[in-house]
Amino acid sequence: MISPSSDKTSQPPAAADSDGRIPALPRLNPRVRQLRISAIIAVVALFYILIPVLNSVGAVSDLSVNILGRYLCFAIVALGIDLIWGYAGLLSLCQAFFFCLGGYAIGMFLSLPEGGGQVQKAYNNIPQFFFFNNQSTLPTFWKPFASLPFALAMGILIPAVVAGIFGFFIFRSRVRGVYFAIITQALAWAAYLLFCRNELLLGGTDGLNNFYPPLQHDHHWILGLYFLTAAILGLLYLALFKLTKSRFGRILVAIRDREVRLHFAGYKPYAFKVFAFVIAAVIAAIGGMLYVPQNGIITPGTMAVESSILMVVLVAVGGRGRLWGAIIGALVVRYAYSILSSDMPAMWSFFEGGLFIAVTLLFSNGLVGLWDELEEKMRMRHGGLQLALSVIPLASVLGFVLCEALGIMPKALQQTIATPWSVMPDIPIKFILLAGILISVALARWLVRFIGRPRGSVVVPVSHTAVEEVHA
Amino acid sequence: MIHAPTDSSASAAGTSTAYTVFLEDVTVDFDGFRALDIYRFGVFRNELRVVIGPNGAGKTTLCDVISGKTHPSGGRVFFKGMDITHRRDTDIAALGVGRKFQTPTIFPSLTVYENMDLALPGRRRVFQNIFRHESPEAKEKIFNILRRVRLLDLAHCPAGTLSHGQRQWLEISMLMAAEPELLLVDEPAAGLTDAQTDVTAELLLELKGRHTIIVIEHDMEFVRRLNSRVTVLNEGKVLSDGSMEQVQRDPKVIEAYLGR
Repeated sequence: MISPSSDKTSQPPAAADSDGRIPALPRLNPRVRQLRISAIIAVVALFYILIPVLNSVGAVSDLSVNILGRYLCFAIVALGIDLIWGYAGLLSLCQAFFFCLGGYAIGMFLSLPEGGGQVQKAYNNIPQFFFFNNQSTLPTFWKPFASLPFALAMGILIPAVVAGIFGFFIFRSRVRGVYFAIITQALAWAAYLLFCRNELLLGGTDGLNNFYPPLQHDHHWILGLYFLTAAILGLLYLALFKLTKSRFGRILVAIRDREVRLHFAGYKPYAFKVFAFVIAAVIAAIGGMLYVPQNGIITPGTMAVESSILMVVLVAVGGRGRLWGAIIGALVVRYAYSILSSDMPAMWSFFEGGLFIAVTLLFSNGLVGLWDELEEKMRMRHGGLQLALSVIPLASVLGFVLCEALGIMPKALQQTIATPWSVMPDIPIKFILLAGILISVALARWLVRFIGRPRGSVVVPVSHTAVEEVHA
Repeated sequence: MIHAPTDSSASAAGTSTAYTVFLEDVTVDFDGFRALDIYRFGVFRNELRVVIGPNGAGKTTLCDVISGKTHPSGGRVFFKGMDITHRRDTDIAALGVGRKFQTPTIFPSLTVYENMDLALPGRRRVFQNIFRHESPEAKEKIFNILRRVRLLDLAHCPAGTLSHGQRQWLEISMLMAAEPELLLVDEPAAGLTDAQTDVTAELLLELKGRHTIIVIEHDMEFVRRLNSRVTVLNEGKVLSDGSMEQVQRDPKVIEAYLGR
């Protein structure tokens, strides 16, 4: 729970006698405003202009763009998780299931010849796996999926209905907190077991594949799908931004703060929770629908309980309750996952756990928290050291991920150093460098906080809703 | 436990609309402990009623029963002649029962203004909250109330940064904004300075005559200022009822307070 701390700068002196003027909304500090505008321009330029251009001239490989496109799909899911977890405080551990519902709907279309699926005459021109289930004709429920609009509609409708019914019964009976998390995890587990069954005629554990190959190999398809994903991510971000600033968003925060109070104000919190849960499910499904064509395969493994938990980790690392934190967190964690699982496969699970512990201990509100700190220091006109202590961890993590994403990591840093322990794999210099920077900055922050305290303590602004309404 | 049979006059009183609230034979048991045992308790329309009593007398339980937080083990609760004994808290609130809790209960992450906005009547459905913005009248109403309770300057501060007294006022202001027919005000003067208590009493007296109000209080000075009919509860039962002077002379009341 994000608890408000006293924020001395945003609070005018508590005058006992008001002079009767209606107070204006707090204005955004011009320096902070400038910082925000430049950050927004940089991000938009990077994702919508620089990367596509670099790709078109060949500086960034198609594979890198394909991978980035897939990670943006996880960023879409993370947006939905942030809406329900960051704002309403609902920790759902079944978002990967909704992601897969969308993914399977589009996967069914892509498996069929109408969607460019690689079918063979020897197998009656239907996906091969049917024959391994003694099915030689297309089942009736598959037939309408030959139409793209139907598949798209189902990809949104089915998760919406599932989330709506499931959410209605859970929230109406006032199941809350950790019980909600456990029930959603049970749902994810049950769904995983169900989709592993061959009788469901959705490919069993092998899932759906053999899609139209150019989707992941042709430059135009890759760039097109990347653009589509980035555009939808941008639109969903704007839509959710509006939603969270509306009265609806305030009610979600009120639910997180003190749900019981809302009952006595005549609200039915469950209706708001069901609606938010449905939105998050639909957003997850949209992410899944964009992911499957770029990934080329969808299996029940993608909806395993671990994947849902990893999706929550994305938001935790990025920072809750600010939407863009979810996007950044998704990219950082997914890249960390892919780099580590390819460079040091044995290390990933240790890293995942370590990351979670480190974030909660050192940077408790995720990357968003670091950014807030930076804004606060800009506003308070802190010195260079203070600014550096916020900028360096942010910049080193983002720079590292960016270099990896675009495949421009310097050769020298790619070399590995052998470790003295035989069980440990060789570690590339880049990891040692990044870890070294982060650890030394963390140490320096502790030192500054507990010994130095230059120019007042570091004040992290109050939760998102309290911070300036004005968005640059 | 067998309840005393309900006589017909009590039932008639419950369904009568002269009373905003009427409790009939209401009992509340917590694990065998009888927290409330009220034969008849009625509050007339637009009346200001003060409920006092020693600790554990069942004052807050009385509020809980009326607002639907606790459901009685026996008996019936009427609101404007309607039986609300088994209605849910949300439905009772929607019928027009507003409540201020013993400890100030506000939304700390939202600003003072946003807290007030959520309290305004109407817009309780999901889709009324997504696209529409608050009307200028609503804004004016909020700022007018905040001006009265001297929270205007803090309108855009997170409610979590308010002091205890300011939170008390914010919650009372939220009740004023909601304009419920019945206000259940649990210990509005707790933790306030004398000057703050005076303002709180003023606010309640201002609402008197337009709303039905039940005030629960410990502070006798504050009760005297409200100058209204007083009901004394003790061990879950109605001990005495009447003006402040009357109940103060009542030997049963003196015994209940001094006997502890």
